[in-house]
Amino acid sequence: MGNGPSVGAMLEIKGLTRRFGDKTAVDHVSFPVPDGGLTGFVGGNGAGKTTTMRMVMGVLQAHDGEVLWDGTPITAAERRRIGYMPEERGLYPKQAIADQLVYLASLRGMDPGAARAAVMELLERFGLAERAKDHVEKLSLGNQQRVQIIAALVPQPDALILDEPFSGLDPTAVDSMAGLLREHTSRGVPVLFSSHQLDLVDRLCDRLVIMAQGKVVTQGTAEELRAGGPVRYELVTAGDAGWVRDLPGIHVADVDGRTALLEVVESGAEQRVLEQAIRRGPVEEFRRVVPRLSEIYQEATS
Amino acid sequence: MSTRTDQTSQAEATTRHTPTTGRGTEAQQPRTATRGAWLQVARREVLVKLTDKGFLISTVVTVLLIGAVLAIQGFMQNRTSTFDVVTTDSTAAAMVDRIADRAPDIDDKVAVKAGTESDAAAARAAVQDEKVDAWLQRTDSGWTLVTKDTADSDLSTVVSTVVRETALADNATKAGTTMAALQAGTTVTAQQLDGNAERSGLVTALGFIFAILFYLASIMFGMTLASSVVEEKQSRIVEMIAAAIPLRQLLAGKIIGNTVLAFGQMALYVGVGLVGMSFTDYGKYVAGLSGSIGWFLAFFLVGFVALACLWAVAGALASRTEDIQSTSMPITMLMMLMYFGALFLDGTARAIGSFIPPVSSILMPMRVLAGEVSWWEPALALLLLVAFAVGLILVSERIYRRALLQTGGKLSVKDAWRTQE
Repeated sequence: MGNGPSVGAMLEIKGLTRRFGDKTAVDHVSFPVPDGGLTGFVGGNGAGKTTTMRMVMGVLQAHDGEVLWDGTPITAAERRRIGYMPEERGLYPKQAIADQLVYLASLRGMDPGAARAAVMELLERFGLAERAKDHVEKLSLGNQQRVQIIAALVPQPDALILDEPFSGLDPTAVDSMAGLLREHTSRGVPVLFSSHQLDLVDRLCDRLVIMAQGKVVTQGTAEELRAGGPVRYELVTAGDAGWVRDLPGIHVADVDGRTALLEVVESGAEQRVLEQAIRRGPVEEFRRVVPRLSEIYQEATS
Repeated sequence: MSTRTDQTSQAEATTRHTPTTGRGTEAQQPRTATRGAWLQVARREVLVKLTDKGFLISTVVTVLLIGAVLAIQGFMQNRTSTFDVVTTDSTAAAMVDRIADRAPDIDDKVAVKAGTESDAAAARAAVQDEKVDAWLQRTDSGWTLVTKDTADSDLSTVVSTVVRETALADNATKAGTTMAALQAGTTVTAQQLDGNAERSGLVTALGFIFAILFYLASIMFGMTLASSVVEEKQSRIVEMIAAAIPLRQLLAGKIIGNTVLAFGQMALYVGVGLVGMSFTDYGKYVAGLSGSIGWFLAFFLVGFVALACLWAVAGALASRTEDIQSTSMPITMLMMLMYFGALFLDGTARAIGSFIPPVSSILMPMRVLAGEVSWWEPALALLLLVAFAVGLILVSERIYRRALLQTGGKLSVKDAWRTQE
């Protein structure tokens, strides 16, 4: 686990702290967002994810800590090159979508002509080219979400900070969004996104940061997090598996008839279990149980 | 997080932005500095308004209205009214003939056409049926002008002047003297030190028009500004804007955009008004007014900017469009105060008021127009107004910045001031 490498991470968050009155919403949060990787930001409601992202974007002042870009405190000009999708989505209700996307890009310093070309290209890609002149209120929620992500992608960002980019998307849209993010990570861009959907995060992310009550409780690559969890094996025998309770070097997490879930306390003990099982009769299944992210999450946040 | 000035960050951005692998060429694209972002914001404010049909229609209608009012004014001034006046006997007929002769000399907009009726009943009937305008009749003590309704004032002036002249001349002859002898030493000539009577009336009218224009423009564009602020807040787009540019730039852009619109509209109205006026009898004063109008526009500009900051704050304190009514209440009150102050202050109070911002933005141009002031007075008042505007901008900016990202309901100024960014 640990704090992870700071090498290869253009964007790094160091000791960010924010209080609202007496409540510390974000308490010395530090983690890197490695270049070319998808970093998933996980935590329950009120864990401090949105507050952290807002501080990274400079929308909210940090009371302590800093955001580093290439090793030094990030500047306003560098922030403008980060694509941002806030938790609370919003666009002008009464302006053509293409026009406001061009406007938002021009606020981020892009030449309006170039911005229009880039916007039209992305609208085309998301199948929204014919809707370019429509007002936002006429679009479906899914399409509004697409417009919102386009806003983060024009101009070509140096990093992406996305607050709940998958919320409200159907499975197909989730896949195309994931593909889009991958496209940016393959350019070498660091991507940080928050989500409630743990299985999705598990499937997509190169790295995870888990927050609870304003603090980072654990972080690392998916493999690192799993390695940190308990080593478990599942055994399914032909007869009752209750005998495993008496064996040394293991902890029996669960026995249910012919199935037993074992936690290895002393390394190598699982081999002795298998020998015993074979001696006692047919073994139908014996496999290493890789902990699911939700289990790691529950353990980390409990 | 460290706080640094924009300048240092810009400098750093250019010196150390060396993209690493995979960042592609787009990272090296030159990007305009954050400092110019207000221009984009202002541009949008103007464009959105200029493509708003309601705004365009109301502007065109107003221009047409100004043109129409001035055209009617010019028409009325130049129109000659002809009155048919009948008589029933030769004495009266002779008098009407004299009136018809003299009418153009007394009032060049009045012409009298003489006619006869057989008797009193016929004459009365003709007046009653509006076939003629009046019936002039000799009575024992003098003359009677019979009309259906109230006699036209121009006509009665002409008639009574001629009748009096004629009667006086007759009486003078009877008394053995002449008209000239009788009238010697009776003339009173009015002499006005500042300008003349006609100009004074014009100046008063223009002063009120200025006050109304300022009031209307401030309310209209102030409301526009406040609702465009709350629109960004309510639609939540403000967070994306805040991530891209400093909120100070957003505020500046909005104020500048709306000021350009308000000022442009005002200049258009004033321009149309002046051009129109030059076609009326008041045309001779247009050149003399241009100095005063210059001051009016200068005061309008600064006064509008000062109030615009307050409108922006009213928008930022609201969290839904419906809240603007209540958050903008203090400004509407202030505007009423300014407006009525301009109309009702008199004497010393008016002189003092014309230096006190923001009332000065209406009162001083009115006094300049009336020719009550020396050159340094509007200059000083403008300076005070500028100082006031700068102070207001600083205070407003802080409240605006703090209130803008608070989306949980309506805020009070106090809360917004204390909120942490």
